[in-house]
Order: sequence, then C-alpha cells, then structure tokens
Amino acid sequence: MDAVVRARTAAYICRSCTRRFQLQRRQQRTFASASAAKPDIYDVVCVGGGPAGLSLLTALRSSPVTSHLRIALVEAQDLAKIRSWKLPPDRFSNRCSSLTPSSAQFLDTIGAWDHLKRERVQAYHEMQVWDGVTDARIEFDWAPGTAPSAGTTIAYMTENLNLTSGLLSRLEELGGVSVFDSARVERISFGEETEELDLSEWPVVQLAGGKQLYARLLVGADGANSPVRSFAGIEAKGWDYDRHGVVATLELEGEGWGGDQMKIAYQRFLPTGPVAMLPMPGNYSTLVWSTTPENASLLKSLSAKDFTAMVNAAFRLSPTDLQFMHTQESGQAEEVSWRLEQTPFSRQAVPQTVTGVQEGTIASFPLKMRHADTYIGERVALVGDAAHTIHPLAGQGLNQGQGDVQSLAKTIEYAVSHGQDLGSRMSLEPYLSERYAANHVLLGVCDKLHKVYSVGSGPLVPLRSLGLNAVNALGPLKSFLMNQAAGNGIKVF
Amino acid sequence: MRSSLRHTRRVVARYGHARTPCSHLQSRAAAAGQPATQPPPAQTITARIQTRSLSISPSRSSSVNPEEISHFNALASSWWDPLGPSRVLHQMNPLRHDFIRQCQNSSATSSFAPGQKLRYLDVGCGGGIFAESAARLPTTESVTAIDPSTEILAVARRHAARDPALSTTLTYLNKTIDDLPLPTTSATQEDTTTTTTTTRFDVVSLFEVIEHVDNPSAFLDRCGQFVKPGGWLILSTIARTWTSWFTTNLVAEDIIGMVPKGTHDWNKYINEHELREFFRGRPEWWGAPQVFGVVYVPGLGWKEVKGSEKVGNYFFGVQRIQ
Ligand SMILES: Cc1cc2nc3c(=O)[nH]c(=O)nc-3n(C[C@H](O)[C@H](O)[C@H](O)COP(=O)(O)OP(=O)(O)OC[C@H]3O[C@@H](n4cnc5c(N)ncnc54)[C@H](O)[C@@H]3O)c2cc1C
Ligand SMILES: C[S@@+](CC[C@H](N)C(=O)[O-])C[C@H]1O[C@@H](n2cnc3c(N)ncnc32)[C@H](O)[C@@H]1O
Repeated sequence: MDAVVRARTAAYICRSCTRRFQLQRRQQRTFASASAAKPDIYDVVCVGGGPAGLSLLTALRSSPVTSHLRIALVEAQDLAKIRSWKLPPDRFSNRCSSLTPSSAQFLDTIGAWDHLKRERVQAYHEMQVWDGVTDARIEFDWAPGTAPSAGTTIAYMTENLNLTSGLLSRLEELGGVSVFDSARVERISFGEETEELDLSEWPVVQLAGGKQLYARLLVGADGANSPVRSFAGIEAKGWDYDRHGVVATLELEGEGWGGDQMKIAYQRFLPTGPVAMLPMPGNYSTLVWSTTPENASLLKSLSAKDFTAMVNAAFRLSPTDLQFMHTQESGQAEEVSWRLEQTPFSRQAVPQTVTGVQEGTIASFPLKMRHADTYIGERVALVGDAAHTIHPLAGQGLNQGQGDVQSLAKTIEYAVSHGQDLGSRMSLEPYLSERYAANHVLLGVCDKLHKVYSVGSGPLVPLRSLGLNAVNALGPLKSFLMNQAAGNGIKVF
Repeated sequence: MRSSLRHTRRVVARYGHARTPCSHLQSRAAAAGQPATQPPPAQTITARIQTRSLSISPSRSSSVNPEEISHFNALASSWWDPLGPSRVLHQMNPLRHDFIRQCQNSSATSSFAPGQKLRYLDVGCGGGIFAESAARLPTTESVTAIDPSTEILAVARRHAARDPALSTTLTYLNKTIDDLPLPTTSATQEDTTTTTTTTRFDVVSLFEVIEHVDNPSAFLDRCGQFVKPGGWLILSTIARTWTSWFTTNLVAEDIIGMVPKGTHDWNKYINEHELREFFRGRPEWWGAPQVFGVVYVPGLGWKEVKGSEKVGNYFFGVQRIQ
C-alpha cells in the first residue's frame, strides 16, 4: 500500500533553525550598525539551474518588461560543463523528455529553441498505447475537425542536456545574469532591520564561501528535494510508488516502421508499470521502463545482450513470461528468442527490434508523486520539480515545469508593469491560482493511471478477471494524450 | 460662472461610527433586489445646505475633516495586510496604472518628452499602495506622496523601508494639499522640503480621497494647480446612487460586514456627471475627461465595465491644457 510520506527536510536549513535564526536576529538588531556591509540585493535569486530555473531566467531576460531586473542564479553543478555539452551524432544521453508543442512554443518565444541542437531533437507523430494483459489498444481516432493532419507533431523528444545547454547558450547571449555555479547553498535566512531599511522579510541566500544574496523574490527551481521549499516551511505531500524508472539509450534495427517522417512512440502497460520506447533521431530510441526496484536492479545487472533481449520481451511477451525472466540472473537472450517463437504477435504493432544498448546509459530513478502545499510565500515561489514531482508515465514532469515558468514569468511581468513588489505574496497570487489546480489535476491523473494499470490495486483487476475489454479503461489516458497532443492542455475525466 | 461641488451636511443619523478604508464594493449586489431599508431622503442631496469648509480656515485646510482623519488613523495598522480591510484597494491598484496609461495615450499632447521619466504627486496617499507602486515603475522619476494622517503616514514610511528600491524615488510628507507651496518657477524661501514641491507634476492622483474631503471644489482647484500643462489629474471615487448606497452602506457594511460600519458617508459621494460639470466650468484649464467604470466581482477582483461609472466606482482623468 502507498504510504503518505512527508517531504524530506534538507538537513542544513529546517524551519526550526530558521525560527531560531529569527530569534537571533531580533537580539542582533540592537547591534546592527549602519557600517555593516551594504547588502547585495537582487530582484530575483533563482536556486537551481535545471530546465525550470534556466527557462525562467531566460524568459525574464528576454522580455523587455523584466529585462532590467537584477537577477542571480545559484547552481550546485558546473554550468560550463553543461554549456559545452557535446556528444557524437550517434550517441544520446539517457535522460530525455518529451516536450509538448506548447513547451516548444514557449521555448521559441523566449528565443531558446534555436539554441538547441535541433538535429538531436526528434519529433514524433503517432503513439501506440496498449494494455499488456489484454492487448487492448488505444486507437487514436480524432473527432472530426480536431484531427491534426497526418504528420502533426505530438511531442518533441529532447535530451535534457540538449535543452539545458541550449538555454544556457541563450542566456549567455542575453547576458545580465549573475551566475554562481558550482556553488552550494549553505544556508537561507532572513535579512536585518535597521532604522533606514527593514529587510527582515527578505530571504538571504548564503553560499559556501560566505557570499550573501538578498532576494526580493527567491525562486526554488531546485528540484524534488528543494532546499528553498524547506526554507519556506512549505510541505510537500505524496506517495512513493515503490517503482523505479529504468532508462537507457537503445539502438534499433531501423528508423522505425513509419520511417524518418512518421516517428512512433510506444507504451505498453505491464502489471509492474508502463514501459515506453520513445524515438530519437535515426535508429535510436530512449527507454523509460517503470518497474519494481528489484526488477530494476536485476535489469541493471544484466549484460548488454540480455538487457536488450528483456527490452524486446517487454513489448512482446506475456506478463507471466516476463515475470519469470526477472527471476533469472542471466541467459535472458536465449530464453527470449525461444519464447518469441512461441508467441504470436504482429511485428508492426510493436517497436522495431532493439539490437543494442549504448554503453553506460542504463540507469534508474526512484519514482514518486509529490505536491507542495502551496507554490508561494512572502518573497518565495517554487517552480518545476520543487513544486511537484509526477510519475513519468505521461512524460509531463518537465512540461509542467515549463508551464509554471511561463505563468510565473507572466505574473512577474504584470507585477513589474504595475509597480507591484514582485516578491510580495499578493503579486504572486495569480501564479498560484493559475498553476496549482492544473498541476493537481495532472498529478492526480498520472497517479490514477499508474494505479489503474498496476496489479495489486485499482479497479482494473476485477474487470480483467471478468475478461472485459480494457479499452474503456484506457479511455481517460487516451483523451489525456490526445488533448496534450492537440495542445488543449489538461482536460481529462 | 464656475460650477462647484459641495457636500451636504449630514442631516440624517449616520449608520455607524467605526470607520475603515474606503473599500467601496460594487458587486452583484446591484442585481440583488430592493434595499431592506430606505437610503437617506433624496432631499438631503438636493438641499445642499451648507459646506463644512465655511467653518474651517480655508487657507490652512479647505478640505480636511478631522473625523475622517481619525477614522483613517485607526486603520493604519491593517493597511498592508493583504487579507485585511484594504485588500480591495490593493486589488484595484493595478487598474489605476492602466487607467493613467489610457489617459496619457488618449491625447496627442503630453507633459513629458518621449523617454522622459514622470513625476507624480499622490494626494491622500494613505499607507502608500499607489505611491509605492508608482515609485517602482521604471518610467518614474519621483513620487511625492502626502496625507494629513500622521499615523497612516508612519505606517507608509515604515512599509516603504521594506523596499530598498523606493528610497531614492519616494518621498512622504505629512501635509495637506494646502500646506504644499504652490508651484512657481523658482524655489521659494519657505520651501524647506525639496524643490519637488515647487515644480509641477505629470500626474496628480487622488485615489478614493475626494469622498472623504469636505470642500471638494476648493480641493480639486488646489490640486489642479500642481499639474503640469499636458499632465493629468487622476482620481477615483464612487458615484452617489441607489446602487452605491445599497452596496457600500447596506450590503458591505451591514449585511456581509465586509467593511466595518461607518466606512462610507453616502452624502459625500460625487457623481461622474457632477465632476464633468465641474471641469467643464473651467475650460481654460481642463480638457475633456476620460472615464473608466469598474465593478468589484467577488472572486475575480476589479473589472472594467463600460457604463458602470454611472452607478458605482469609477476612475476619472482630466488633462491640463495650459
Ligand atoms: C525516469 C524519468 C523520466 C522522465 N521523463 C520525462 C519526460 O519524458 N517528459 C517530461 O516532461 N519530464 C520527464 N521527467 C521529469 C523531468 O526530468 C523533471 O521534471 C525535470 O528535470 C525537472 O526540472 P527542474 O528544473 O524542476 O528540476 P531539476 O532538473 O531537478 O533541477 C534542479 C537543479 O537544482 C540544482 N540544485 C538542487 N539543490 C541545490 C542547491 N542546494 N544549491 C544549488 N543548486 C541546487 C540541481 O543541481 C539541479 O540542477 C522524467 C523524470 C524521470 C525520473
Ligand atoms: C481611502 S484612503 C485612500 C488611500 C490611498 N489613496 C489609496 O487608495 O490607497 C483615503 C485617504 O485620504 C486621506 N484624506 C482624508 N482627508 C483628506 C484630505 N482632506 N486631503 C488629503 N487626504 C485626505 C485619509 O487620511 C486616507 O489616507
């Protein structure tokens, strides 16, 4: 059973420390002298230079309304390495995301899309989704008038590093951001109150080495274990799925059944979770296989040959066969080729055969669902995974973050053009109301889908035992995916 | 002959005594049916018995009503609570900027050259909701904000200290418009504050103030003298109608208790056509007005609704032509 868990609180800044600090501050106030070093004040301090943080800063820098703001970025990693990221054309990073057309549109608006290595971005135009137990398939029958013409892009497969590297290149072009990278946030506290200036509600980000950044608005784009969220005392509630997402870069026998111009994404719902194969340029694809932690560690321990065989099996063999092969330490390749001979399947209904896996690309991540209680506080806003973490089955995590960023940038723009203090809660309210409910619905949908299609919970189990066609139950997923594809946003159930 | 705006003295008992900020609320209440009790008799409006200004020294204070000031003093502490009684003012504030821009864009002439920064005078600034926001705009050179209430001004100053960006652009003065030296071309001896009081302003604003003032005609005339030729006098207030009586006095104060009783003195409300007449009577100074009626929609905030200036809250702007 899923257990409700509370977000882990970063050890180095917890609420009680903040409180203690506030108390200290009060005592210190009497000693605060006018000769104290002049505070280094920024309009926006963004902690986290992942897809969400970098997009936000790019959006703010590229808008004439907000380009005069004083902005700082704090990132633990070395951004120079990401900026100069480069792989040969036949190698792909294992962390890929599907960008929806609306995310791509947004990235284009802020001038970042052209900075991506476009030859490494793969649009796809069709999806094959089916139930692993009943083999029921979703047919994408578009309602009259809503059908995107053949070849319409459903989403763009992009390496996360291609995106972040492109965003950094665009930010560099725009200039004007004080970047503190390879920089650990040591502590976040509040400023001081003196006769002339009352900064007691201003977050102060202290970096290792002593540098202090005062923030009119502190943005937490610092991922699922967000230190900014802990500082703000905002809780994130949710579930651990007891599942891992196994990722890998795969090499296929060809460019796909539809060729270069009609790329297809595949997803099969297995009782342990969905397995997805998403097209990359040429003969390559990226794998996201959600499965139990035990299965995940077995998969990671296999030889490239056995791993490849298991991936082929995941899209072809029965769940029972698959389960059996997860009990073997090796020899999957032989086992699979024998079993495939016994299993009838339509070749073109499943992805082309995987012929290899790129070295060093097999990895896994624990899957969880988290939603922060709120995205805003006085002088604090959370975006991206800091605000919500979603099951990857619908490929929406990064896209949700882009939606957040678009909304927050618009909210800040409105505040600036109307003279509001962009860090005040009141100014941030439109961001919260625009995004919270939308994200909540999406989180709920993906959570439900995960449960519906997993054995051990959910209503599908009795339905299946009655032999009912699962197509009906796949309906919500279908309408969800179609709405996303048509750019209608979130309208499910 | 000049038209003048006069408030009637209150001849009927007031509905309450505690006062709060003018969170005039014009909402769906307008459609909610008949008021349960009668508004003040219509003759109190037409009778226009006498103006309070007669009893107060006109040179020092053509406009200040001490009762009004003590009411606002009491409110000082909650001024910046975004969920407090001033929330409606906070929510209305962005529209004020939209309205000012609309006024400026409506005219081919202007008090400032393209790219030049603007000077604002905010009269009756209260806790500084508008003054702070104007001072933060990148297009602003300076904001001078005045209010007769010492307590409120202390709150305004303390709150402005929370934003380092304001220290260079925003100046608060605990003064009435009568205390401010009239603009002249050269600085006068008495002018100990800053030279800003002796230069005219691109925008002089009176947001939710005129309905709290005793002699609105003299007050507007005085304020108008601080506007640069080509600049704008901008105000917002609430019309004196059955609807506004019903929604602000009865619904907002008595029924839903959104604002405490006594917030509004309905007799002091000024209708849009009265303001029009007032400025039409001074054609050598003022151009044709811009008007923008707004309605508070619960859950959504303030929305512009064409024609609503006749029944409730409205913005009013006039350009000084010479
Ligand atoms: C297996 C898997 C598959 C996925 N597939 C998809 C998909 O197909 N489509 C999709 O849209 N999404 C997908 N996602 C989700 C997606 O990867 C995330 O939603 C996205 O990366 C979140 O971006 P972010 O910028 O919010 O956070 P992150 O990418 O986590 O970035 C946070 C940044 O903050 C920095 N940071 C953290 N703490 C500090 C600190 N104290 N000081 C300084 N810096 C700090 C980190 O170094 C990091 O750079 C997938 C996720 C998983 C696990
Ligand atoms: C409802 S508040 C509006 C405050 C501010 N303009 C706003 O909208 O946020 C009215 C203000 O007018 C001030 N006031 C009252 N009589 C005044 C007068 N005669 N001259 C200038 N200000 C006055 C009060 O002190 C109070 O701060």
